[in-house]
Formats: sequence, C-alpha cells, structure tokens
Amino acid sequence: MAGAEKREVIYEVKNVSKRYGSVVALDGASLKLHAGEVIGLVGDNGAGKSTLVKVLSGAHEPDGGQIFLDGEERSWSSPREALDAGIETLYQDSGLAPHLTVSQNVFLGREKTVKGLLGKLGFLARKEMEHDAHADLERVGIAVPAANRPVAQLSGGQRQAVAIGRAVSWARKVIILDEPTNHLGARQAGEVLEVIKAAKKKGLGVIFISHTLPHVLEVTDRIVVLRLGRIVKDAPTSTFTGDTLVGTITGTIQTIKVEGD
Amino acid sequence: MANSKQATSAQTTSVAVADRLKGMLSNQSTILVGVMVLLVAVFGSIEPKFLSAATMNNVLTDWGSVVLLAVGQTLVVISGGIDLSVGAVVGLSGVISAWTMVNVLHLDSTATGSKATGGLLVGLLVSVAVGVSVGLLNAVLINKLKIVPFIATLSTMGAALGFSVIISSGMPIQGPANYELISAMDAKTNPFSWAILGSALVITIVGLFLHKSRFGLYTYAIGSNTFAARAAGISVEKHLTKVYALSGGLAGLAGMYVYLRLGAGSPSSGTGRELDAIAAVVIGGASLMGGIGRLWGTVLGALILFTVQSGLIMIGVAPDWKKVVVAILIAAAVAAQGLQKSNRRS
Amino acid sequence: MKRSFRTIAALGAVAALALTATGCASATPEKLTIAFVMGAESDPFFQAMKVGAEAEAAAQGVDLIWQGDPANYSAETQLPIVESVLAQQPDGLVLIPTDPVALQAVSDKAVAAGIAVANVDTHTNDLSKVVTFITGDNTDGGAKAADAIAKAIGYTAGKTYEVVIGLTSATATTNVDRQKGFEAAVAANYPGIQIKDVAYSESNPEKAATNVSNWLTKYPNLKGIFAIDGTNASGAAAALQAKNLVGKVALVGYDAYPANVQLIKDGVFTALIAQDPAAEARLAIKTLVAFLKDGTKPAQRDVVIPNFALTADSTDAEFAQYTYVATN
Repeated sequence: MAGAEKREVIYEVKNVSKRYGSVVALDGASLKLHAGEVIGLVGDNGAGKSTLVKVLSGAHEPDGGQIFLDGEERSWSSPREALDAGIETLYQDSGLAPHLTVSQNVFLGREKTVKGLLGKLGFLARKEMEHDAHADLERVGIAVPAANRPVAQLSGGQRQAVAIGRAVSWARKVIILDEPTNHLGARQAGEVLEVIKAAKKKGLGVIFISHTLPHVLEVTDRIVVLRLGRIVKDAPTSTFTGDTLVGTITGTIQTIKVEGD
Repeated sequence: MANSKQATSAQTTSVAVADRLKGMLSNQSTILVGVMVLLVAVFGSIEPKFLSAATMNNVLTDWGSVVLLAVGQTLVVISGGIDLSVGAVVGLSGVISAWTMVNVLHLDSTATGSKATGGLLVGLLVSVAVGVSVGLLNAVLINKLKIVPFIATLSTMGAALGFSVIISSGMPIQGPANYELISAMDAKTNPFSWAILGSALVITIVGLFLHKSRFGLYTYAIGSNTFAARAAGISVEKHLTKVYALSGGLAGLAGMYVYLRLGAGSPSSGTGRELDAIAAVVIGGASLMGGIGRLWGTVLGALILFTVQSGLIMIGVAPDWKKVVVAILIAAAVAAQGLQKSNRRS
Repeated sequence: MKRSFRTIAALGAVAALALTATGCASATPEKLTIAFVMGAESDPFFQAMKVGAEAEAAAQGVDLIWQGDPANYSAETQLPIVESVLAQQPDGLVLIPTDPVALQAVSDKAVAAGIAVANVDTHTNDLSKVVTFITGDNTDGGAKAADAIAKAIGYTAGKTYEVVIGLTSATATTNVDRQKGFEAAVAANYPGIQIKDVAYSESNPEKAATNVSNWLTKYPNLKGIFAIDGTNASGAAAALQAKNLVGKVALVGYDAYPANVQLIKDGVFTALIAQDPAAEARLAIKTLVAFLKDGTKPAQRDVVIPNFALTADSTDAEFAQYTYVATN
C-alpha cells in the first residue's frame, strides 16, 4: 500500500535457500517487510511457508542467502537470538504452556524478579507480573478475565488471543504469526485480526501466514505467494480477488517472475 | 417457613456452601489431609497404641528419607520426566560414602567425637556428590543421547546397583556413626529427630524454589509444553540437567540419612524406594504427563504412604496387604485427578 | 543359602560388563583342573565360597576355573557359562545348579565326557551320577535360632514370651526353611514362645528397620526377634539401637556379614546363625581331587554341613571360620 512504501524496510531476506537432504524446501526466496506493514504469506502445503517462517524466526539457518534487520546483515543461530533482536514468532498451535497462568505465559523467558538477594536467586515478582500482563494485554486490545488463571481454563479463542497478545506486547520490530486463526470461530478470529491491526498501528512489521484466504485479504497490505519453494508472486493485496489468489496459489493462473530476480 | 426472604437467603447460603465444598473437594491437599485424618482415626480406633509419640516417630523416620527422593521426583515428574535411579542412588551413595570413611579416612564404627563428626561431614559431601554425578549422567543420556527418561534412568539404576554391589561385595559397610552426638542433637530437637528436621528444611527450600522462583516456573513450563518453553527462549536441556542433578543430589542426601539410620552403607538400602517415591508423588496429585504437581501434595503423599505402612503393621494386617492398600491409594489419587479435570471442563 | 540379593543382583546385571570373571584356564598337562560354576558373583555367600575354593585349590595343587554370572542368579545365564567351561575340558566340575531341572542335561553331558561332577548348596534332580552333594542346613539353622533366643531370654516352662520374625519375602526358599525350622523347634521345645507377627523387608534393610520399629511400639513386652537373613539382621540391629533397646530384646540374626559380626561383640546380636560356604567349597574340591587321583569315593555321597550359632562366647577361630570375607 502507498503508506507502507514510504516507510523504511525493517526486515529483509535475500535469495535464501534451504534443502533437507535432496528436497529443496526453499529456493532463492527474497522478501522485504516494512515497518507498519502486514504481509500475507500464502501457499499450498509443502510450498515452503513453514521453512521460510523457520528461517525468519531463527529456528533454522538457511543454506544460502542473506538476512537483514534494519539494513544490517544478521544471522540467527537460535530462536533466542532472533527473539532478543526484536523478532517475535507465534507458532501454530503451540504458543502457550497450558498449565501456567496467563501472566506466567506472557512473561515466560522474560520474568520479573523481586529486588535484592532473592531476586538474584530467581524469585519472581508474581503480583507485579500479573498486573503488568493484564495491562499489556489490554493495551493490545485483548480482554482476558484474570491474569492468574491457568491457560488450560481459557477457551481456544482466549488462548490464542493471549498468545498473540504476548507476541505483540513483546515484539519490538517484527512479529511472525503462523496460522493464528486456525481452529477459531468467526468472532474469535475477528478479535485476532483486530490484534494484528493493532500491531500494525504500533509500527511493527507483521508476517501473517494463513490458509484462510478471506482473513489474508482482509488484514494484509501485501501478499506473497509461495509455490514449490519459490516466491511466485509478491503484490499489493488490492490487486487480488479471492479467485485470483486461489488461482495463483494452485498455479492455474500463470505468474511472471517476480521483478529483480 | 416464616417468609420468602429468609428462604431465599437460606438457599443462597446453601448454594455458596455447596460451591465451597466442591472447591475444597477438588483441592488435592484438602483431600490428602482428609485421608490422613481418616487413616489415623481408623488405625487409632483399632490399635490405641497407634496414637502415640513412638508411632509418630516411626512414621516420620521412614518419611524423612523417602520424602527427599519424592521431592526430587516431583520436580522430575513436573518437568515431564521420571527418575527410576533414585532408589539405587541411596544404596550407591551410602556405600561409597561408607567406603570413603573407612578406607580413605580410616574411621571405623569405634570412631568417636570430632573425628567421627568430621568423617560424617566428608561422608555427607561424598554422598551428595555421588547422587549429583548420577543425576548428571542421567541428564547426559536424556539430553545428548536422546534416550527417554524411563530407559535412561532405568539403566543408571542398574549400573548404580551393580557398582554398589561391586564396591561392597554385597555386604553392608560399617562406618563411624557417632551415636553420642546424634542422640545429643536429637535431645535438643525433641520430639523430632534432627535428621527429620533436616529433611523438612531441605524440602522447604526446594518447595520455595519450585513455587516461587524462575527455576520452578521453567520446570513447569517444560513439562507443560516443551515447544513453548523453547520458543520462549528457555534452554530446555540446561534446565533439565539441573532438575536431574537435583533429584540425584537429594537421593544422595537420602543415602546419608539411611546410612546414619543403619550405621552402615548397604547396597540394598534403597531397594524399591524409587517406587515409594513415585507413589508419593502420584498420591500427592502430580501428573506423570508433566506440568502438574505441588510439593506440599508430595510431602503429604509420602506421609500417607508411611502412615499406612506403620498402621498396617500396628493393627496386625498381613504384610502382603500393604501393597494392595498402596495400590488402591494410587488408583484413588489418579481417579481424583481425572475427576478434577472433568470438573474444570464443565 | 542366601538369596536376598537376587533382585539387586539381577538389576545389577547392567553393570555386568564391569566385572571380570576370575580364574584362568592355562592348565599344565600334569596338573588337575577343577571348574567351579556358582550362582552369582555379587552374592556374599558366593564371595565367601570363593575364598574357600581358592584356598583348597592351592592346598591341593590344582588349577581352579572359578566362573558364574556376575550378578544374576538364574539358569538362563548359568547354562551358557557351564557349556563354555566344559569346552575347556576340566577334570572335575563343582556345580551350584541354579535350577534342578534346567541344569540336569548339561550335568549329564559333563559326566558323559568323563568329568567328575560335584553339587554344592543346591542339586540337580538326578544325583545318581554325581560324586558328592554338599549343602548347608537351613531348617537346622532355624532351630538353632530358636535355641539361641530361648537361652537369651532365660526361657522357663510355664511362662509366655513374645517373639517376632523378620522375613525378606514370602517365597524365598531359604526364608521358608529357616522359618519352618524355627517354628518346629519352638513348638517342640519352647511352647511358651509366641510368634506374634512376621513382616517382609523386600531385601531392603531400611524396610526391615521399619518393621522392627513398629513392632517395638506395638509389643512393649517383646522379648525376641529372629531376623532371618543378613538384610533383616542389619535392619533389626539399627532399630534396636535407635530405640535404645539393645540387651533388652534378644536379637538372633542370620549371615555373618563382618558388620554384623562386630555387632555380636557390641552386644546388639545375641547370636548370628552362620552358614559355612567356604567349608562347602573346600570339601567339594577335596572330595573331587581324591576321586580323580585314585577313584576314592566319599563315605557318604550327601553331606550336610550344619549351620553354626556365633555368639559372644565363640572363639576367635570360630569367628574367623564363619565370618564372610569380602574379596575386594
């Protein structure tokens, strides 16, 4: 979209490839993400979406190609490194620990400790985190009943909202959402899409992976289509209709090579 | 009925009471305390001698060693694993500790005074070090060789038993005990023995770390959803190494406890104790699937286990029934967990 | 024979590789070679037996092949060991069959190959072809324990005395025999002794201590404890010491572990019933060598070496003879 064009490129991969044995999962993919932009990443099963997500989130190192964050070349040897650099990833169906409370999940890996010696020993500031978790989630537009309830007691939609809220509230630059509306009812999915819009407003770059094409068409600025490990189309969302998007994904609509390749 | 207002308020009260009762019944520690009271009442009514300080002492003396194993086991189970090696570690650490005191420090059962005390402190360190080593070995097998915890700890269990038999020729090794000092210390902490209080102190500290600190949070997180824990940046392998080392170290501590009780390091002194520990953990409400468990539950679970054991001897039930009763307790505990889960869903 | 370590031993098999079997097969032609296949190396009973076997082999000037599973008392592990030992063509074989039926065939095979066979401790079903069978007597040991307790409590006819028995399991044959012997002796000679209770230690001395602690609470007038094996003996001794009841309750144990022998001297044990595995081994080797040299058969094929009650009054020589020796 016109607005996004003016913004700076926040995250970029150039010509990345990944093979698993003899299978080429990703073949020279290039992608630019701007601050405040939502990209939809679509493609059939096996098109290379999850491999690209793993490269972007630091879970897998690519065999070839370059990664740039804020114009600076980077490489991730672990998800932790990407996380520390400001890239949050929400994985499909596995974002939360069901036995932990909402606030424990929100702060997992980044806990606040009490002051003094006990804090050095790792003793946690539970009340403070519960309060902050509640505030953080509200800020990104998620109403959660109580921050001290175990996640297992929440509905599927609430859980997903917490997972996304967690990612959005922690993300400093980029947020990658892998199938966040999967298994959700229409109303709950709508809430998730609202959160994505909130993240965009916050100036984050959002990569949204989904099979649910109406959601993609609704919330994204640009759509990137993967087929057989290659990016076959990268165009503003406004240039797609539901039918042309399906055609591009399945290959019934011929695509020209993406410019600059 | 006088008027409708009263009736309504009575109704709301009864609903509130019912809700409260439901809440209490679904609380594992309330159930456990109830079971405990019931057991004491039943055993006491059949055999009045059961209600005595001596019985309490008998129960707590057994509890003191196994609760250490059970506490370590609780952490392992919450993390989604299991540690079958702890019973064997009790034997191995006791034997190596006794062997060190006898053959390296040249102290025998006749040693007294500060010499014996110093020897026992060295023995304590050796004992814990042996336990931690086995725990680290478990962690290596699980993290590096990717062996499932059940098999990994089953093999270290066998190895630990084997080594303790090799070192001891299968016989107890009698070392220093310093009974004067021990009974002097016990006199100060009357009516509890100092060793029992020591165990209680250790488990209190572990409990604080489990329920209040980052260490405990990560243990739950890994057992609840390893993938989520990893995604949150937790080094799962590093954390599990700590958990298994702690379980081993506590087993080593239990090894010294049993050594002091028997006055000797015996290779078979932990035989079957891993099962007692797991039973205590399960009765206490932890889930073998990981992510669920409270230390307080385990502490009560172990107490119930040994109350049953002493009680059955005291009321003169044939020893074969002990296992049946424990089996029923475990089944009841697991069933209670299932009920709680379905309550939550509704 | 003492088998409470069987469970541990079986589990210890994982560490089996760490154990090296002793013995060597390099026999010079004129020297006799006796193979000795026992039950489980880790069992103190066989450790003590090994000491006797090695001493007698040296005294007789024969080579000894000492073999057996490091930890596992079972026919499955013993059979291949016997087979491989026979392949070394010894002149004589001392066998402790871990199963009376399973070891019969391989024993017959040895006899057929001209090897003189002796059974020690346990025997195969058909003893007709063996030179000798030497064993200890657990029933007699139980009776001796009853005598020792009666003596320690100053048994007087017409009075009653409360006694308990600490067992390892309901099925261990050694336990069963010793208990039978004890009960028979009580019924015949000490009708005033009441056996109030039994409990199992499951091979764990701490559990044995638990059982005794609870009995001491339940039976304030308890006069005696029969601890049926080494494990129960260790546990009962610990419980008596913890409750300060040493000397007030008579404790008769089994198996002369060095640690427990020391406790006789300390007054904790009234008596320890000891088997003499070393003597069984010595006699077996002596008999086989005599038979191999000039065909001398023993006066009686079956020899029972009685159990012995070690007490504070026993001589140093008796202590030396019966105390189990650790080999490492």
